[in-house]
Amino acid sequence: MLLVLSDEHKEHLGFLPKVDPAVVGEFGRIAVEFLKKGSNPKIYEGAARKLNVPSETVQRGVEGLMYLLTESSKLMISEIDFQDSVLVLGFSEELNKLLLQLYLENRKEVRQILSELAPSLPHYRNLEWRFDVQLGSRALRQHVKPAICLKLHLESGGTQTARVLQTDPATLLHLIQELECALAEVKSNHCRRILRNIK
Amino acid sequence: MELSDSVVKGLQTLADPACFDLKSFSAFTEVAFDSLLSSTGNGVSGHPALKNIDQALLKHCHVAATTFILEAVKQNADKSTISSCLEDVKFDSEKVETFYTSYQINKRNLENLLSSIDRCPPHITDASWRLEYCIKNGHVHKVNQPSYLISFDVENGEREGTSSEVNFSCTLEQLQDLVGKLKDAAKSVERATQL
Repeated sequence: MLLVLSDEHKEHLGFLPKVDPAVVGEFGRIAVEFLKKGSNPKIYEGAARKLNVPSETVQRGVEGLMYLLTESSKLMISEIDFQDSVLVLGFSEELNKLLLQLYLENRKEVRQILSELAPSLPHYRNLEWRFDVQLGSRALRQHVKPAICLKLHLESGGTQTARVLQTDPATLLHLIQELECALAEVKSNHCRRILRNIK
Repeated sequence: MELSDSVVKGLQTLADPACFDLKSFSAFTEVAFDSLLSSTGNGVSGHPALKNIDQALLKHCHVAATTFILEAVKQNADKSTISSCLEDVKFDSEKVETFYTSYQINKRNLENLLSSIDRCPPHITDASWRLEYCIKNGHVHKVNQPSYLISFDVENGEREGTSSEVNFSCTLEQLQDLVGKLKDAAKSVERATQL
């Protein structure tokens, strides 16, 4: 599957052949840093002064690289498709190789960063449990009531929550049975067939 | 067992053969226990055997009797404690026997009733699950990962009947971790029962 680059995008990337390949390599590193930690406009000004070009041009070049990386990683395009997509830009052989290397080295990490943007439910982090026996209460003295106290740690979009829940031994066994059914389902023939065939 | 003056007075009236003979006392005892255990029921005033008794007096005796019953169940009182309490308020031996027989029959159910009055964290009653295979989303294509959506049905103790859900997603490994920990908890319960 080929990447289709817009004219504006091609224009922004057009700055790259005009500089040293080493500088392009540096821009690539900056682009990945910005994807991981957010952008820092001061770096554009520093680079623009050194290269004697307006800082806007540097910014567009780096952002063009970032967009190229995110789009190719999102679609998970193959090596050949990436090379063909980049050919359209008319860059030198050396520059193409550099861009390909940048893509292959960083695509896994970029995909991980992108997946954090996707909608998600609170997900499981940890479960702590405690076995208690209630011996008395205000309403009834001298009784024996076993209970299992659970602390369920969940994480939702960066914030962690913990919910304290309780259950009795009979329900605990029922929960284990139900969840074991769930685990067994992924090993069933139906699921295996789907997991194998949709890739 | 410590009883308030009002309860003692009510029990003294119950003991008085002029107000309650053995037959009406038996009927009264049955109604008193019933009124605690079932949510429907005619109550003291509707019973045919108790029609001749003054209604206000009947109500007072009902409150005294039910308070006494609940206090006895709460303290897990034995026969000698109950007998001595009732004899102190001038119950004759037949009435003590009648009361104690009903007490023994209904004690288990009353204990269950009292133990359900409880402040506790939300109580899990059931779990449901859903297995999905994520193909792609708006930000990443070709995800191709199975994931589980688990939902625990939870009952809040404070307001009877309100239930809610705790929903969360997890991967296969995380679900295996969760089930492993639940199994550890179950094993420790089993070991405790063998002690």
